[in-house]
Amino acid sequence: MTGHLLPGTTLRQRTAGAVADDRLRTNVARAVDRFATHRVEGLGELDDADGLRRAARAAKQQVLADLPALLERFADNVLARGGYVCWAPAAEDARRYIVDVVARHGATRVAKSKSMATEEIDLNPALEAAGAEVTETDLGEWIIQLAGETPSHIIAPALHRDRHQIKDLFVDTVAAPPDLGTEPTELVSFARRRLREVFLAAEVGITGANIAVAETGSVVLVTNEGNGRLVTALPRVHIAVLGMERLAADWAQADLLLALLARSATGQRLSSYTNVVTGVRGEGEVDGPDELHVVILDNGRSELLAGEYHEMLGCIRCGACLNVCPVYRQTGGHAYGWVYPGPMGAVLTPLLAADQPEAAELAGASTLCGACMDACPVQIPLQDLLLSLRRRKAEHAGRTERAAWKAWSTAWSDPRRYRATTKAATWTRWAASLAGRLPVGRDWAQGRTLPRPAGERFRDRWKAGL
Amino acid sequence: MRETGDRADFLARARERLAGDIFTNPVHVPPPLPAPGDPVPLPGYRNLDPDDLLATFVGAVAHAEGTCHVVDGDVPDDLLDRLVAELDGRSVVTSAEDVARTVGARLAQRGATVAEATTERAAAAGLGITGAAAAIAATGTVVLDSRAAGGRTASLLPAVHLCVVAVNTLVPTPADVLRRISSRSDALPPSLVFVTGPSRTGDIEQLLTLGAHGPTALHVVVVTDAGRASSTVAPA
Repeated sequence: MTGHLLPGTTLRQRTAGAVADDRLRTNVARAVDRFATHRVEGLGELDDADGLRRAARAAKQQVLADLPALLERFADNVLARGGYVCWAPAAEDARRYIVDVVARHGATRVAKSKSMATEEIDLNPALEAAGAEVTETDLGEWIIQLAGETPSHIIAPALHRDRHQIKDLFVDTVAAPPDLGTEPTELVSFARRRLREVFLAAEVGITGANIAVAETGSVVLVTNEGNGRLVTALPRVHIAVLGMERLAADWAQADLLLALLARSATGQRLSSYTNVVTGVRGEGEVDGPDELHVVILDNGRSELLAGEYHEMLGCIRCGACLNVCPVYRQTGGHAYGWVYPGPMGAVLTPLLAADQPEAAELAGASTLCGACMDACPVQIPLQDLLLSLRRRKAEHAGRTERAAWKAWSTAWSDPRRYRATTKAATWTRWAASLAGRLPVGRDWAQGRTLPRPAGERFRDRWKAGL
Repeated sequence: MRETGDRADFLARARERLAGDIFTNPVHVPPPLPAPGDPVPLPGYRNLDPDDLLATFVGAVAHAEGTCHVVDGDVPDDLLDRLVAELDGRSVVTSAEDVARTVGARLAQRGATVAEATTERAAAAGLGITGAAAAIAATGTVVLDSRAAGGRTASLLPAVHLCVVAVNTLVPTPADVLRRISSRSDALPPSLVFVTGPSRTGDIEQLLTLGAHGPTALHVVVVTDAGRASSTVAPA
């Protein structure tokens, strides 16, 4: 997958930067708190929401177990409805195919609806290098495109910016009038006018896929703004990029997932537009694409099937785990340093970017409180997966560090040795000599504040009758 | 050739992984895999009154920031007068559905410029009129079928969308539409869209703002045939 977005920095450095930025933290906290409240209200309107989440977990496991057969069925149905299918084992295969399709149509104007899969394969630079002008049409995604940033949240890419920052950005980058108001309605209305021209001129529309239904070869696009409908209605060519795991076997499974998706994401009963796209423009239709291409992307996913981390492939990208995560709340998404942030990103990134050792540290971006797992609409055991990834990383730790922890564990596993090391005088000297001096200690102590040892041990006070 | 890349090779990797045992998380143990033929549980909606789908629907449309009008027999004159007044000189487009064309003709009698939708006309129009294949009570959703409507843009590009639905197409939940989709390859239209309220965004400070790229306002007219009194329910 796409490499490190901030190469040469460590997770500790990036989080320290984010935590020091008060405006960022205010913006992120405000946004995730709103999302989290709405989610609770939305799920509260379903009978036995936890039972449905359990059923969704089972359904996703069933899909993953049958994935090859379901993908065949899906692809055959896409072909039967006049679509094209590309099997893309790696990001590079997907990029090359999409650039080819755009070039074959001599297209220079591409409109995109928000898609994390296309972020993952770093599609825009490839299209731009081939001479196409690419415009993101989701408002949040357009804002970060203008700012030259990456998404800081998987469903609200620009939540780290407030209205004043967005207004200034519009003035600086797309010649908005300096007297443009900062009310959201004015900013949205400005973006609507600008992007309307983009929709009408675009020759190719590119989307992701929220769900792909094998039974009918349909791609389900869930949007609120309507951009997902516009980019599949106006351009002559529609390209959908689909992570291979995003299937539902049939419409019963899709119904269950849709009942949970919008509620978990924004608290809505359904998003404004749930668009089921099946094949190309029909006879007698005045709009719709003449060509539909579905790119089925592996990019490291098949490696995960059946293994310890396979449940991560059940993720429906709702963003609920980001909104409840105490780490994400303090740092926002950019500090993670990779395309997918938050708990889902902290699990998925080290797995998809297994060839990039810097990705492993993301498993540390968690308090292991388990809030993510409680919020996940498909009950992915995120906490267990994070812990396991940490264990995996520890196995690769240096010999000195492992020896140090082993020594500590041996010492404190025996009452006599424990008593000896905790004798006040010993402990104070021991801690003072250790903290920040050993190579392993330095790394471990960074960002941590060691407690000052008490002058007297509790067990001594207890013996003395407190 | 409409297939690119090596399907067999692509799927072989997945098949290889799935050939052995599938890992079971030992801490938070997953539910057992459903047996073939086991039904997928049906979501239950607490806001649904099964004895009064219409009242549920009216409430849900308002919940989604739309406006629902329940009328007896036909779209009332006063609503049409209001819509023409709000056009501010802009034109009207309709879908190819009879119900939309009929309402369009009545707007034309009031002096509006009305035509069947093309992309160009819809982009310039102030109002788009369509029918619906179904309406869903629990979510306040109207379901638009591109095959019946002759396209997608009449409900998408104009600033206001007026959707006329017959009360007998009202069903309780999304499952009543989704789970009845036949697996026949031609069962679905090229676009079947579930519209729940007007276009919106929360991308600026997560504050609800209507009219992002699609219609700023959605009027749903439910036409009853039971002599029920007319009423209008606007969003709170």
